[in-house]
Amino acid sequence: MALNPEFQNRLPSQENLLLDYVQRLERHKRDRSAVHLRLSGLRPYNRREQHLRAAANSFEPLVENMDGQLFSLKSADLLFIFKNAVRGEVETVVQKVRFLFSDDPLLAESDADTQAFATWYDVDGEYDRVLHLAQSLVDAEHRLVNEVRGRMDTRSALRARQQMGEPLTPQVLDRVVAALARADLSNMVRRQYVCQLDTKMVPSPVFSELFISIADLRETLLPGVNLLSNRWLFQHLTETLDRRMLAMLTRTDHITLSGDIAFNMNISTLLSPEFLTFDDNITASRRGSMIIELQKVDIFADLGAYLFAREFVQEKGYRVCVDGLTYHTMSMIDRDRLGADLVKVIWHPEMVDGGAPMHDRLRALIASAGENRVVLCRVDNREAIDFGRSVGITLFQGRHVEQLIAEDNRRRELLRLKRRIERG
Amino acid sequence: MAEQGVAAAADGDDEIHEEEILRDHLRWVGENPAGVYAVHLHLSRLRPSNRQPNFVRIAARAFETLVSTFDARLFQLSNADMVLVCRDVPVDEVDVPLERVRALFSEDPLTASTGSLHDQFVTWYDLTRTNDFSDFLSAVRQLVIDAQEYRRKAAENRTGATARTLKGRGIDPGDLAALTRKLETMKVADLIHFQPALTLQPNGQGEVLFHEYTVSMPELQKRAAGGVNLYSSPWLFQYLTETLDKRLLLIMARRGLDAAEPAISLNLNIATVLSREFQNFHRAMGARSARVFIEFQLVDVFGDMGAFTYARDNLRDNGYRVVIDGLTPMTLQFFEPAALDADLVKMFWGQEDLNQADEDRTNRLRESLRMVGPDRVVLALAESEEAVKWGLQMGLSRFQGHYVDRIVEAMRAKGLI
Repeated sequence: MALNPEFQNRLPSQENLLLDYVQRLERHKRDRSAVHLRLSGLRPYNRREQHLRAAANSFEPLVENMDGQLFSLKSADLLFIFKNAVRGEVETVVQKVRFLFSDDPLLAESDADTQAFATWYDVDGEYDRVLHLAQSLVDAEHRLVNEVRGRMDTRSALRARQQMGEPLTPQVLDRVVAALARADLSNMVRRQYVCQLDTKMVPSPVFSELFISIADLRETLLPGVNLLSNRWLFQHLTETLDRRMLAMLTRTDHITLSGDIAFNMNISTLLSPEFLTFDDNITASRRGSMIIELQKVDIFADLGAYLFAREFVQEKGYRVCVDGLTYHTMSMIDRDRLGADLVKVIWHPEMVDGGAPMHDRLRALIASAGENRVVLCRVDNREAIDFGRSVGITLFQGRHVEQLIAEDNRRRELLRLKRRIERG
Repeated sequence: MAEQGVAAAADGDDEIHEEEILRDHLRWVGENPAGVYAVHLHLSRLRPSNRQPNFVRIAARAFETLVSTFDARLFQLSNADMVLVCRDVPVDEVDVPLERVRALFSEDPLTASTGSLHDQFVTWYDLTRTNDFSDFLSAVRQLVIDAQEYRRKAAENRTGATARTLKGRGIDPGDLAALTRKLETMKVADLIHFQPALTLQPNGQGEVLFHEYTVSMPELQKRAAGGVNLYSSPWLFQYLTETLDKRLLLIMARRGLDAAEPAISLNLNIATVLSREFQNFHRAMGARSARVFIEFQLVDVFGDMGAFTYARDNLRDNGYRVVIDGLTPMTLQFFEPAALDADLVKMFWGQEDLNQADEDRTNRLRESLRMVGPDRVVLALAESEEAVKWGLQMGLSRFQGHYVDRIVEAMRAKGLI
């Protein structure tokens, strides 16, 4: 197979390397020995990263002189294969490592049976034993990886079920979609504001996002079912929710709509007869106050459909917002060409930890997107706002912003009360 | 994936078709052609994905105002083309909706030729001029014949399906539930096929890069889903593939990987790679994992970038190679796949990429491919010699598709592989 050089660099674990090395050693096994140091048997407090590194470093001079090859295994064990000519030096190194861990019971107890810590092999005479050892180390490593992952798998599945409910299946989805056709969803509509903040953290709303509360939906329609457990089935469910949302937006008496509003839609919905009917029934001026949010996963599922739909709705007067970007995807996607009016970036504390180069990059991305075109959403705390501002973001949405709005309202209320008292 | 057919209804023979109405209308125009002109919009030349019925329906709405305000009539033909016949309508008025439609399809190579003499998208006919009138009349006659031919073929092929299109009604969650239940006991092994991907070397020799194993969707639909189109909902389809992944892994694990056979490639969901079924597969593959490619769909990658990164690194640690599937020359213009740090990316070829009138677009694509590294790109759906030639011109050397199947066979026969 013709492979890129970098393909070959991505070699498997040390265990696999060891096995490979031992297999190739068969033809050059004369005058070679091996020593297996069972650091895995040490007490945990002796098995810390720095201890293991110190142990491995002791072999460094020998490795540099090409007198031997060291393998650091996942179990923490070390395996050193070397030329018999340097046996004396290797014994000194092993003695040094032993000394490093002399307080460990493993070494204290092994005075009688030194094999417990270090096992020596004559590769030439005992090749099959060495090969068997390498093979068993590979197997053990796979078992370890699988067991850990398997346990985590079962554990996290159990935990998710206990906390979130039964996973969503096609059968359940079928029932939900049918139930949604009849249910009254207007009391499940929630509203969250996208705000600018002044220097005193006083918010002024720019627009608000309307959405159907998934928690309420679950509570009402399907207690005990985790609607979010499968991304694809949930995405399908949102197509049904889109239609209900459009119906509610047409009958404005259900929700008092003031200011500019944003709502999520699937691209397939925008191209459906339901949206065309909705569009026919609202006035041109209202279109200008509506922002249609599209998910990035939906956009990249069919980019051609996105471009068509974006052009269609923008031409009608709606604004388009690309939702669900992360720092990572934001730097990967050419937002200019996507041609959206706004983008929403999800806040993550990781952004702060990214360091100066990443912050510069983010600042440049935001500057190129244009002022007031980037919203930092899922803002849960003050840190998010401080960070957002430091990179040039002026629009914020999330629980913390809602708190600021509530505080501001209380403050105004108090002020009003105070004035009334003063007048009275 | 939605059905990518053209906008055509299943109609009986006694029905009157739009092309015939247009032909008759023209006869009537011929008696008094003063001030009459026709505008032919060649939507049939758009990419198949842009010719879907809902796209065409929206495009047609752009003419509503014009048709209700002026003496103009719009004909929507069965091949997705539109013809506008106007009497005494100011050309500027027609330009407005025309530009709107052009804008809707602005990313299609077809509309790149805007307004030039070689406009591929729109043809104007001044019906007061005898030459134009007869040209238009023969064009319309041809459209009538084409439409008949198209309907005949459609009736014949109702059962046949090509690689990426399927027939049938839209799938709903109930269908999916029934299908998932059926799959629990149904035999799947005989629905698994493989297709080679080929690396062409400068010396004229070839090397099989891998054999990609997949469950045949047309066959699965035929066996288990009757009249339901499995591609009609992208999300339900994606769920279905999660179920199929697990069956595929089980079968491939049992089958093993012979030292003498080429590497294999499996298209999986990211969630699958983190599942128990994959662990079992990995146990069966052992050190052979270095000869296994795992392909992820772009939409899955964008769905959860964190999960992708985790899965990619995990697979690599265990010796596998990672492939990003589902790119097109168009997606390459919107994001930088190099950032995904995959071992290979797969780009689908389409006939329309050949007619790149737009020098700019081609240069941009070349630049994107350079960023990824041309030797990391597999040109998939290479169904014709043209496709392979185009790829070689773009500096690519790895190919997959029906035409490639034939090359591989021929090279094997000549001992070039």
